[in-house]
Amino acid sequence: MKRTVPLILTFLVGLFMVGEYFIPHYRYRIWTAEFLEWGVILAAAAFVLGLINLIQVNLPKVLKRERDWGYKLVMLIALAVTLVAGFTAGEHRDGPSVYKWVYDYTFVPLNATMFALLAFYIASAAFRAFKARNLEAALLLGAAIIVMVARVPAGESLPVIGDYLPRFMNWIMDVPNIAARRAIFIGAALGAVATGLRVILGLERSHLGAD
Amino acid sequence: MLKLLLRFQHMDRRWIFLGMGLSILLPLVFPINFGFKVDERVQALYDSVEALEPGDTVLISADFDPASRPELEPFYRANLEHLFRQDVNVVMVSLWEFAPPLVVPILDEVAARHGKVYGKDYVFLGYKPGKELAIKAIGENIPKTFPTDSKGTPTEELPIMKGFKQAKDFPLLINVSAGFPGTREYVLQIQGQYNLKIASACTAVSAPDYIPFYKAGQLTGLAGGMPGSAQYEKLVYPDGPPDGVRLLASQAINVLNLGHLYIIGLIVLGNIAFFLTRRLED
Repeated sequence: MKRTVPLILTFLVGLFMVGEYFIPHYRYRIWTAEFLEWGVILAAAAFVLGLINLIQVNLPKVLKRERDWGYKLVMLIALAVTLVAGFTAGEHRDGPSVYKWVYDYTFVPLNATMFALLAFYIASAAFRAFKARNLEAALLLGAAIIVMVARVPAGESLPVIGDYLPRFMNWIMDVPNIAARRAIFIGAALGAVATGLRVILGLERSHLGAD
Repeated sequence: MLKLLLRFQHMDRRWIFLGMGLSILLPLVFPINFGFKVDERVQALYDSVEALEPGDTVLISADFDPASRPELEPFYRANLEHLFRQDVNVVMVSLWEFAPPLVVPILDEVAARHGKVYGKDYVFLGYKPGKELAIKAIGENIPKTFPTDSKGTPTEELPIMKGFKQAKDFPLLINVSAGFPGTREYVLQIQGQYNLKIASACTAVSAPDYIPFYKAGQLTGLAGGMPGSAQYEKLVYPDGPPDGVRLLASQAINVLNLGHLYIIGLIVLGNIAFFLTRRLED
């Protein structure tokens, strides 16, 4: 029962939603729109589950003083402060509030800093790992250097080759890049269709959990 | 010499970090301005906005966060300027929970500069969770997906929303996309089904993924990363920015010069050292 009901529901809803593409009647669309709304509500409810899960995983580790418990404590305090600030700011948070302050002066700089650090690690990783060890790696290296030089104004301003670099870069992006990506997209799409069919038909059951 | 190259190969990464820091800082202190050309994809994006008539309404999905702000905010600002200058109305939504506090103040600021009225000329309908589900719902029924705007006004009562129920009712959908959910999901979920005109501004790392969509006609234009934003700014402000407006990407693009050249230099030198010392290391 615990497995059969979800399998029947998956089959019926999956089949119904696929039908939207084949039955262009407006009444059918009204029902699919209704299902989509249910889906959006369920997705919003996942935030609550995530919140509970975060507390369930981290709080016991803080209480037992397990490894890195201090970081987890900071995370839980930040979570509580943001949550309270968010609720007290009300539904519409356009004006100045604690929530906006937390966003502007902690989240924005931290988020931007984490992303900016990538530049340093990419430089280090490129130096250490980007070696022409074989023909494939040499081709990749050559293409990467051309694209990197041509993407910045300094590359376009180089004497003699400056005019040709962007054209060559566009050729790399438009021909070999597209050929490879289309192959990957089509392969992935066929895989997604197969997986979707397996889920609808109940052959793939991993989403139902281990029990 | 070989020992020196070996030491270079295994140098402390903090030296690399220092060089990278200087490559970014020096152009900020001593700017060198190189000219740049406009890419065909950015030109196509600009042309698709130019083709709109005064009074048209576009749907913008602003899906970026502070991490991608340097790349996408310049485009977002220039795009709003472009739209409002042409008297095109803007309906904005967001699928990224961190976007609203970032995008709404800019929308209000640019709209105020053009004397636009909230609810009549522009509106922000808010953030919607659900990722692909939310995109499908935007394709099906916008007032049902966003029953009120971000200020609590029922969407169906907003003058700007009269006659706009589905994504296909808009002549153009502009997606400012920093990743998932974003341009790829809009194309896969609703572009083909409703034959939508979608233009995209995305991060540099996503641009190669979206070029096949542009080439297949599924995107009407594409601005990738900081260079794309700078090129769009160049098209929107051909005679330079008006007072009080800064062209963020056009300034920042020159900072990228030295950074890119530094990484290329490291790769080339690293390879030379690798080949010369390979036998010694073996």
